[in-house]
Amino acid sequence: MESEVIEANILLPQHLSFKRVQMSEKYPKGQARGRHWKHLKQIIQAENYQTYPANEPNYVNIESPPSMYPSKKFCDITGFEAPYVDPRTNLRYANSEVFKRIRALPNEYVQRYLALRNAAIVLK
Amino acid sequence: MSNVVVLDNGGGLCKAGIGGDRDPSAVVPNCLGRPSSSKKWLVADQLQACEDLTSVSLRRPFDRGYLINPDLEKEIWDRIFRSLLRVDPTASSLLLVEPLFNLPSIQRSTDELVFEDFGFRSLYVADSPSLVHLYEASHRPDGLISRAQCSLVVDCGFSFTHAAPVLQNFTINYAVKRLDLGGKALTNYLKELVSYRSINVMDETFLIDDVKEKLCFVSLNVPRDLQIARRPGKDNLFRCTYVLPDGVEHMKGYVKDLDEAQRYLTLPDEAWFPSQGMKDGCAEVPEKPEDRKRIDLTKNEFNLTNERFLVPEMIFRPADLGMNQAGLAECIVRAVNSCHPHLHPVLYESIILTGGSTLFPRFAQRLEKELRPLVPDDYHVQITTQEDPILGVWRGGSLLASSPDFEAMCVTKSEYEELGSARCRRRFFH
Repeated sequence: MESEVIEANILLPQHLSFKRVQMSEKYPKGQARGRHWKHLKQIIQAENYQTYPANEPNYVNIESPPSMYPSKKFCDITGFEAPYVDPRTNLRYANSEVFKRIRALPNEYVQRYLALRNAAIVLK
Repeated sequence: MSNVVVLDNGGGLCKAGIGGDRDPSAVVPNCLGRPSSSKKWLVADQLQACEDLTSVSLRRPFDRGYLINPDLEKEIWDRIFRSLLRVDPTASSLLLVEPLFNLPSIQRSTDELVFEDFGFRSLYVADSPSLVHLYEASHRPDGLISRAQCSLVVDCGFSFTHAAPVLQNFTINYAVKRLDLGGKALTNYLKELVSYRSINVMDETFLIDDVKEKLCFVSLNVPRDLQIARRPGKDNLFRCTYVLPDGVEHMKGYVKDLDEAQRYLTLPDEAWFPSQGMKDGCAEVPEKPEDRKRIDLTKNEFNLTNERFLVPEMIFRPADLGMNQAGLAECIVRAVNSCHPHLHPVLYESIILTGGSTLFPRFAQRLEKELRPLVPDDYHVQITTQEDPILGVWRGGSLLASSPDFEAMCVTKSEYEELGSARCRRRFFH
C-alpha cells in the first residue's frame, strides 16, 4: 500500500480495542466467507460413482427403478381419466364433448397440450 | 463402566438418549429455526418451546437424508449433549445411526465431528434396518422374525423410504431399494396444494406438518374416494376445516371439528358400487346457498377434501408427482427379488414398517392390498407395525448399546487417531 495512504490515517487499524471479537478472528484470512458446505448433488458428483464397479451397491444404484406397470392415462384437456386417444392429434380425451373440442383446436394449441406431458414432436 | 449415548440422527427429528433406557430423553427437530419476530436462531428444543412458529425460517444440516453441513449439526449436537442429556462426551461412547449407503466423504466429516470436535471415547455406527430388526426380534422372542432371524424393514422416514432385507442382524445391502419420497416431500406437496387452492402457506412448514399429521390418511379405494370428495355439503365425508393460528387467542392451528374430520372412518372398506353412489348424489336435497359460503375469509381457515388422501397416496404412486420411480409396493417386491429365492416367503411374511410417515391411518392395510397382487399367491403377506414407529430405531439402538459386547464392537478414539477414518469404517462393513 502506498505510504501516503497509511500516513493519512483514513484506514481502520487491524486491531480495534473496543471490539470483543476482532474481525480477523471472525473471518480468518484465506478462508472463504460464504458457505463452506456442498449440496448432496455436488458431493455425489465429487464421489465419482461412475468409476465404481457396477455390481457393488451404492447410493446411485439402489434407487427404486421406474414402474413396470402401465401408468394411468388422463385426459389432456380436463384431467379426468381418459379411455380414448385421438389418432389425428394424439391427444387423450375423456368423452365425446372433449373430442369435439380438440378437433376444433388449432395445431399450435395441440402441440402445446402435448408438450405439457412431454409428448410433442419437435422437428429439427 | 461408562454410559453410551444413543443418537438416531434423522433428517427430521433427532432422537437422543442413554443406552439401556426404554425411551430417548430428547426427541427434537434436527434443525435451526428463526421466527419472524426474533433475530436469533433457535436450536432444536428451543424451537419446540417457542410459541409463535408462523413463518419460521429453517436451516437443516441434512439434504436428502445425508449430513451435508457438519457445522450446523455441531450446534445442534452441542445443545443436545450439554443441555438436554448432560453428558460428558470425553467419558462416553456414541452409538450413531447413519442412513444406508452413507457417502465416504460424509462418513469422514462425521468421524471428524464425533472424535475431534466432541472427543467421544468410542463410536459405533449402525444402520436403521438392522436396529429395527433387533428390537422387533427381541420384543417378540417366539415370533417369526426372531425364529427366522430375517425380516424386511420398510423405513419410511423424513427424507426417503428404504426397503431393506435384514438377515442375522445384517442388512443385505445389495438388495436395498430406495424411494426418494418421505415426510418432507409430502409436507411440501400439501403446502403446494393448499397454497394453490386456498391460502398461501408456502412458508409455514411446521403448521402444514401439523395438518398432515392430524388430517391425512391413506385411502383404500382411491377412485371411490375421489368421487365422494366431489360431493357437496354433508355427503362429503372427507371435508374438514383447519383453523390457522391468529396469534392472539391461539398460537397453534387446530382442526375445527374433530368428529367431522373422523367421518371417513365410517366408510366401508370394500364393496361399493358406483351406480348406487351416483343415485345417492342425485337424490340429495340441494343444499342451501349459505352453506356454500361457510368458509369465512376473515377467520383464516381452509377446507381440505381430497388432499387428505392424495398426499399420502404419493408414496404408493410417485408417478403422480412426475417421479420416475415405482411405488412402495413394487419397491418392496424388487428388494425381495434381489435376495436368494429361499428367503422370499420368509421376507414377505415378516415385513416391518417403521419411520414417521407410516403413521398415516390405514397405511399398513393399503400396503397389504397393493402388495397382494404382486406377490406369488402361495406366499403369505404379513405386515407388522411398530407401536411407536418414530422411536423404533432408537429403541433398537438402546438395546444394542446395553448388550455386554458393545464396547468391543466400537472404534475407539485412539484407533481413529492411529488408522484414520476410512480404515476404521471397514469394521462396520461400509
